[in-house]
Amino acid sequence: MSATARRAGEAPLGLAIDTTFDDTSVALLRGRREVLANITLSQYADHAEFGGVVPERASRKHLEAIHPLIGAALREAGSPHAPLALSDVDYVAVSNLPGLLGSILVGMTVAKSLAFLLERPLIGINHIEAHPYANFLVHGDLPFPLVHLVAAGGHTVLIHQEDHFRWRIVGRSVDDAAGECVDKVAKMFGHPMPGGPVVDRLAMEHAPGPYEFPRPMLADPGLDFSFSGLKTAMLYFLRDHGLPADGSAAHGEGPSEGPVLAAFFAAVADVLVGKTLRAARRLGVPAVTVSGGLAASRKLRRRFEAACAEAGMTLYYPPPKLCTDNAAMVGCLAAYRYEAGRVDDLTLEGYPNLPM
Amino acid sequence: MSARPATARPDAVDAPEAAYPLAELPLTQPLNALAIDTSSDVLGLALLREGTLAGAQYDAIGRRTTQEILPRIGGLLAAAGLSPAELDVLVVARGPGSFTGTRIGMAVALTFAQVTGCPLVGVDTLRVLAAQAEPVEGGAVPVLLNCARDEVYFARYRWQGGALARETGMALRRLESLLPELAGAPVRLRRFNPGMGTSPEQEAAFAALPSLPLRHSEPDAVRLMAVGLGRYLAEPGRDWRHVEPIYLKSEAFRTWRPAT
Repeated sequence: MSATARRAGEAPLGLAIDTTFDDTSVALLRGRREVLANITLSQYADHAEFGGVVPERASRKHLEAIHPLIGAALREAGSPHAPLALSDVDYVAVSNLPGLLGSILVGMTVAKSLAFLLERPLIGINHIEAHPYANFLVHGDLPFPLVHLVAAGGHTVLIHQEDHFRWRIVGRSVDDAAGECVDKVAKMFGHPMPGGPVVDRLAMEHAPGPYEFPRPMLADPGLDFSFSGLKTAMLYFLRDHGLPADGSAAHGEGPSEGPVLAAFFAAVADVLVGKTLRAARRLGVPAVTVSGGLAASRKLRRRFEAACAEAGMTLYYPPPKLCTDNAAMVGCLAAYRYEAGRVDDLTLEGYPNLPM
Repeated sequence: MSARPATARPDAVDAPEAAYPLAELPLTQPLNALAIDTSSDVLGLALLREGTLAGAQYDAIGRRTTQEILPRIGGLLAAAGLSPAELDVLVVARGPGSFTGTRIGMAVALTFAQVTGCPLVGVDTLRVLAAQAEPVEGGAVPVLLNCARDEVYFARYRWQGGALARETGMALRRLESLLPELAGAPVRLRRFNPGMGTSPEQEAAFAALPSLPLRHSEPDAVRLMAVGLGRYLAEPGRDWRHVEPIYLKSEAFRTWRPAT
């Protein structure tokens, strides 16, 4: 099981795995950002009948999918003349926090087994720390310091990063993540998870009209977020207009969903943009990055572009495919870790929560 | 040979199958084999080197399984002077049991099989429990393994010609609905995490169950190895790559939703 000798000057090959939530993802990276394969199997359809992710089902699906995905990634990464083998891999990276613990353990156990069998280093990656590396993948080595907004499924956080591996969370949602809030409000209008794409489309197509929703904690000088109140504001709005909040509002009388959801999303975007730029100004940081599933929103991106241009701030945005959960971003951060010799051993643990 | 995948068919009654202790195995070749059981709060490992038991562990380490399993496998192999590539057969407990626990062992075994190309034999945990019982020709072996609260995994086996045949499907049953069916017959009861969500009445019902005489005191990884190798040696040419876990219980008992 010895590795095939790398061609002279060829960068190391990393295999990265992410199973933190309901997507199974495997990537192969050459060096820091040559993505040879980045395959993600989404389980959204598998959970649709429950209206939410079933943790046990997610874990079961990860175990079914992970080995075929590794095989598919190797095939995609190689050429017919020079197929890649697991023995070509130089290190194995895996997200070991935060997320659904049962799901994390599947990817982590597979990664540990690979590291053991291939006699290669194991690198445990914080999934939230990895999200901004979607920007390093496409924009190259960004100069530090940076402020990152990570608006991912269960988390909305602001990160101040001074160098690789030197970062801290300077703001986070005290209740719902922004993406959760968008999903829940979309559900009130009858749209299944994920609600982000449909809300984004309506926000692009419609003006907010006369409607106005609160900007939670935007007036608050801190950098934390709160989105639970915005969801409640929508419930009151529907009630005040005599509309149901059970998913049938979109088809009822009264205000049509386009302008209402456009107004709602304008509030979400204002808070995200406002807090991110406030963090950058306060910390004296000239550049911000946006990542996570909600970063795939075109409307949010436009708001960020306009606000950063006005503030003279540099903005980095990844393409939509790299906003949602994917193992390529995990592999990118892992490449820096591998170069720095910051590796883990086979006793690596998984954690459901993001440490403070 | 047959390419039939070894998929979970918990409702099917399968053919009689050898459940030998290792010494009785018809080892026609000096096999190297690794058995892995993480289907309960116990981490079970057994290693065969050239047909001889080279090491075995059976430790209740609960949630530490995920941290310790690979260092322990590495230690066993190193002590026996074997590399993973030298394994001829892998045996894994595929459930029913702890969902997360079963997945950890399955994830290790499936990855070993993917990397080394080694045949992988999945063994039902209930059969390993049945294989502990003293063989009595024609004797029934009802096996109960606790799930959560008042539910148990159940199957009934019978000794036929020195082998264990499964007479019923493997099923998740409520203890109280199963008791009349058992009619006081001796059973093989295995409980992990005793008291997990059970009521005093259920605890009393468990305590009142008469036990079958056992030939082996523990359903350890050596027993798993014996059952798995027995299965492998009966059909060595089969396609042994596909093993699926057995859960028996629907996954939809708990749904994650964003907090409201």
